[in-house]
Amino acid sequence: MRTRLHGRGALFDADPAGLAPRLVGLVPGRHRAHPLEHPDEPPFVVLTGARGLGKSAVLDALQEAYRGHTPVALIDCSATQFAGPPAGRPADSWSPSAQALLVIAEQLAEPVTGAGRITFPRLMSGLVAVAAGGWGDAEAERIRREVERILLLNERGPRIGAFAGRWAGKVAAKVVAAATGAGPLVSGAIEATLESVAEGFTGHKHQKASEWYRSYPNAGGNAERGLILLSQHFRDGDGSREHAERYLVRALLADLGEAYTGFMAKMQRLGRPLVLLDNAQTTPGPELTAAVLRDRAEGTGDRVVFVAARRGEGRAELPNAVRRQLAEVARRTGWTPDAAPSSRALLVALPPLSADDTLHIVGALCADTAVPSHLPAAAHRLTGGNPLGVVLLAESAAQHLPEVSSLGELLSAEFRPAEDRPGSPVHQALLDRLVPAAYLEELTVLAAAHDHESACALASALLPDTFGPADVRALQTLLAEEGLPVVPGQFVGDPFVRTLLLLRLHLRDEDHASWRRAHETLIEHYAEPERAPYRLYHELALGDAESAVARLRDDFADADTRVWLRTLRFIASAPYFHAHDAEGRDFGGRGDRRAAVALGVTDTGYPLPEGVDAVLHLRVRRLLHALWELTDPLVLPDPKVCDRLRFELEQLSNLRPAAGALLWRASRDWPAAALAGRPIEGPADPEDDGRGEA
Amino acid sequence: MAGGMGTWVREHVWEIPLRRYLSLLLAAALVAGGVFGARTLMHDDRRCAPGVSRPAGSDECVGVATGVYDFGQPRFHQVVEAIGRENKGLKSGSYVTVALMLPFTSTSTTNLNDIEHQLQGAYLAQYSANHDANGQSPQIRLVLANSGTGKDSWRPTVSQMDGMTRSADRLRAVAGIGQSTDPNQAAVAALTKLGIPVIGSSITADELANGQRGKKADPYPGLARVAPTNTDEARALASYTKAKANRANENKAMLVYDKPGDPYTNSLKQSFSTLMNGSPYQPVLEQPFTPPADRSQEGTTANTFRQITNIVCDTPRDTHTILFAGRHTQLRQFVNALGDRGCMDRSFQVLTGDEASYLTYEKELNRDALRHNLTVLFTSLAHPDAWLKNPPKTGGSTADYQTLQRLLKTAEHKPAGPIGPVALDDGQLIIGYDALQLAVHGIREAVPEGRSIPTLADVGLQWPQVKGSLKVAGASGWICLDEHGNPYDKAVPIVRLTPEGDSQFVQLAWPEGKPPGKDCLPPA
Repeated sequence: MRTRLHGRGALFDADPAGLAPRLVGLVPGRHRAHPLEHPDEPPFVVLTGARGLGKSAVLDALQEAYRGHTPVALIDCSATQFAGPPAGRPADSWSPSAQALLVIAEQLAEPVTGAGRITFPRLMSGLVAVAAGGWGDAEAERIRREVERILLLNERGPRIGAFAGRWAGKVAAKVVAAATGAGPLVSGAIEATLESVAEGFTGHKHQKASEWYRSYPNAGGNAERGLILLSQHFRDGDGSREHAERYLVRALLADLGEAYTGFMAKMQRLGRPLVLLDNAQTTPGPELTAAVLRDRAEGTGDRVVFVAARRGEGRAELPNAVRRQLAEVARRTGWTPDAAPSSRALLVALPPLSADDTLHIVGALCADTAVPSHLPAAAHRLTGGNPLGVVLLAESAAQHLPEVSSLGELLSAEFRPAEDRPGSPVHQALLDRLVPAAYLEELTVLAAAHDHESACALASALLPDTFGPADVRALQTLLAEEGLPVVPGQFVGDPFVRTLLLLRLHLRDEDHASWRRAHETLIEHYAEPERAPYRLYHELALGDAESAVARLRDDFADADTRVWLRTLRFIASAPYFHAHDAEGRDFGGRGDRRAAVALGVTDTGYPLPEGVDAVLHLRVRRLLHALWELTDPLVLPDPKVCDRLRFELEQLSNLRPAAGALLWRASRDWPAAALAGRPIEGPADPEDDGRGEA
Repeated sequence: MAGGMGTWVREHVWEIPLRRYLSLLLAAALVAGGVFGARTLMHDDRRCAPGVSRPAGSDECVGVATGVYDFGQPRFHQVVEAIGRENKGLKSGSYVTVALMLPFTSTSTTNLNDIEHQLQGAYLAQYSANHDANGQSPQIRLVLANSGTGKDSWRPTVSQMDGMTRSADRLRAVAGIGQSTDPNQAAVAALTKLGIPVIGSSITADELANGQRGKKADPYPGLARVAPTNTDEARALASYTKAKANRANENKAMLVYDKPGDPYTNSLKQSFSTLMNGSPYQPVLEQPFTPPADRSQEGTTANTFRQITNIVCDTPRDTHTILFAGRHTQLRQFVNALGDRGCMDRSFQVLTGDEASYLTYEKELNRDALRHNLTVLFTSLAHPDAWLKNPPKTGGSTADYQTLQRLLKTAEHKPAGPIGPVALDDGQLIIGYDALQLAVHGIREAVPEGRSIPTLADVGLQWPQVKGSLKVAGASGWICLDEHGNPYDKAVPIVRLTPEGDSQFVQLAWPEGKPPGKDCLPPA
């Protein structure tokens, strides 16, 4: 099987080999060995990126590619099962890490082509010892339930069938008897477990396993004592628990190492086991990562391939990690660890999709529909290559084409993830997965802001009083940690997310009250004349272009042409959602008035202000509307409007011969950039930071 | 799944070392098994029994049967079983092997009768040698060697026997051979060339003998014969008729002969001509006939014989003897023609060689002819009645023959028998018995002092010594060999064809005209 992921060849390619086959030692989807790039110790790979970049999809594809060929475990650290202890289980005998180890081992135990189940006697003993710490007043049934699941880790027989869990059942009965009987509870359970391990399996390997805890610090060469100490440390919490948890991680890796040691293992097993941690930024991800990295740095090597996926770059947790772009590791990682534990991690940033990948995805998902030729390019321009955005847009298009074809309509159309599941608007579905759910409301409002101050103004006007400036800062930091780009001049740096949030803001109320309120607040906030472009920007967002046209018309003769063009671009980048009338309300129909204005269709009926240069005023008005439309991420560039833009800029260059070169240059560059879906910039000005300050 | 079977094998077997090596082992075992199986199958396909197989391109089972095998002939079954029992009782190392080489797979009933009887006789001789010889060594193991009916079918058998001379089988002699045919002649040449002693039982042709006129060296060194040559038979017949002629004074004879003739008829004609020169017989007429090339076919000779019959009636009235030098088909046509002759009042006797024995029980023979003044006399190799009444003092004895009779009695029941239905008329049993007796004699005489097993070469050197007190007292008469291995003055029974279809013993005749002396020494 080949993965259906697009744009991730650097990971999954078979020939030449991508990162995954070089680390795991198996060709993806095949039971075929591949030479290892790091035969001694593989790097702990951490995929980084913001939400929606396809990290989970990559991990799913890895699991799919290697399942049945080599032991694979995939856990989502943000899953509820790791959030807290199950009902009835005391917190001091449970931790997310211990639970994660149990789940990982359960998945790794599954038989693969050519080799049978892997047993985890060390981890099993350790987990029983930990669980036994919480059986103080538990009833036998709960103990049996808990211990049986752990004991199945050491079961060699099949999971299903007549013999499933026979050994585990027998031992569980003994452990339950020991735990509920008289005498010290923990040691009784441990004793019964260790005895069963030693009795039930007489092989050399199990002998070794039952003696493994002898080396626990202060155990004095007594495995039972070691396990009692482990249980005690776990219950003590904090640093002691961390120590115990690290020992449990080591137990898992030692059991895995045992399965890969010896003649028969070499004869039966290909490649390396693979452990996949999704959402590794949440507990127990960082703990497991730290434990593995620390053991590796200390020389307790293992041959397990870890691939974690985390939001954000994790610079605080993994300061010395080797960082690469995905394309850089396509053929070799160039990774060499140093003394620091975190240097054993290899952070790989997942890039957005290319325009070609977008085209392929839209083609694949809309295979049964006739897709308008502009749609893939438009989707890529809007999403910036965000895989989740591209996929959901394409799926929405597959559901709504050909009735609905503009991006704005596709985003507000209802999207059903499956036939039998309730639908929601596409932009809502995207926001659910692209921004932290807890802050969706706040972000919806603050998306209109440009900086901290404007955000605070919006917050005080539209958000509850409990959300103060400190919370605004905290939210800003959170966005940066999540991996969203920090862009000066925008509170929400990612243009796609910002567009979605603004759309949500616009649609929040029937009469767009919130939307209007937000922009009116900012118009007020930017009252000072020197911040006029911001004011004009928000006026334009509310559909009022008059002030902006007047200001641009008046400035044209005297202002620095470069600044004038920059101001024009900034004001024109105001958001635009479906048409408004003069009062800012929707008028019926789906037409976009900007194009009409830009093409001069409305000029005759337009009431010119008195005493102005009519030609220049109309030209600036047409130019502003043309540019407004062409910079709108939700609308595809219209060649006619592009042509008009070129024409108007040319005409302006005639009006100001001194600045003619710049204007003429813009008349060439801007339509070309708009048609190509590139951001409209320049003419060449390296210091241009995008802010339209005059 | 892309790639299908190849991919599956690669990924589920080849890539996993354990499975790869196990499957290689399995594949190797399968290939080995396949090769072994195929070879066994191919081999079995050509195998009939231990030592016996079908050569490529033939369906005939040839070779030397080292186990109990009747060559697919149920009539041999009992005697083959008896031989098997006898062989099984021999202690390893104490025996030598004698092969009885005959065309056991023949389809001709006449031949099969002869073969069955010779086989019975050979077995009786083996039994006697192993049980009644006062512990003489070595013991004798008898095996059946099929020379087949094809032109070259004897070849594998002969090479097999050559190998057996050097193996634990210790083959020391080959007896039997059968009729005087070209393949048999080639087989004898090959055997003697390999240094294997051969004892011919029923070969009579002069060509298949050593020491014949005009030949300097013996062509078959190590060949001994039990039966007299055609020439000796003719001489014995002549001596018989001479005695008769003298007595009856009816001394006119007529010669009817095959022209151009074959080895048998030519040597017979030659002998008859010699006989008439300077004998009481006055040649009245020599009358040739020309049979078809295959002398077992009818051809047009019946007409010729009707004309000859007229000539017979035109001969002088004292002509009573007709000498016939021809094969049995022509003899039958001639006798039938004589049955219709015009001169029924005249009596005639037809004298001929042992070919006439084929006319016993011949359905197309006009037996009525024999009731009207017509007698057919011929020589036989042996006859059960030859030694019972008034035997001569030398040349054989009733006692020697009665030894065989006692053996026959023994072989009616276990442990020696049963050996199947026995018939002695044709003499084949007696001659088979004598041939093996001669072989045993040669082998035991060749045992060096203090040893129990003779060398192969020494056995063949014994033949010239078989005379005097070392003669073999056969059931068919004394067997004294000359220096070329041919019997000297061997008793030749003269036999008469009866109207009932069988043959009746007339009297013994002798090639030398009289029985040999007491010492039975051939002239140097």
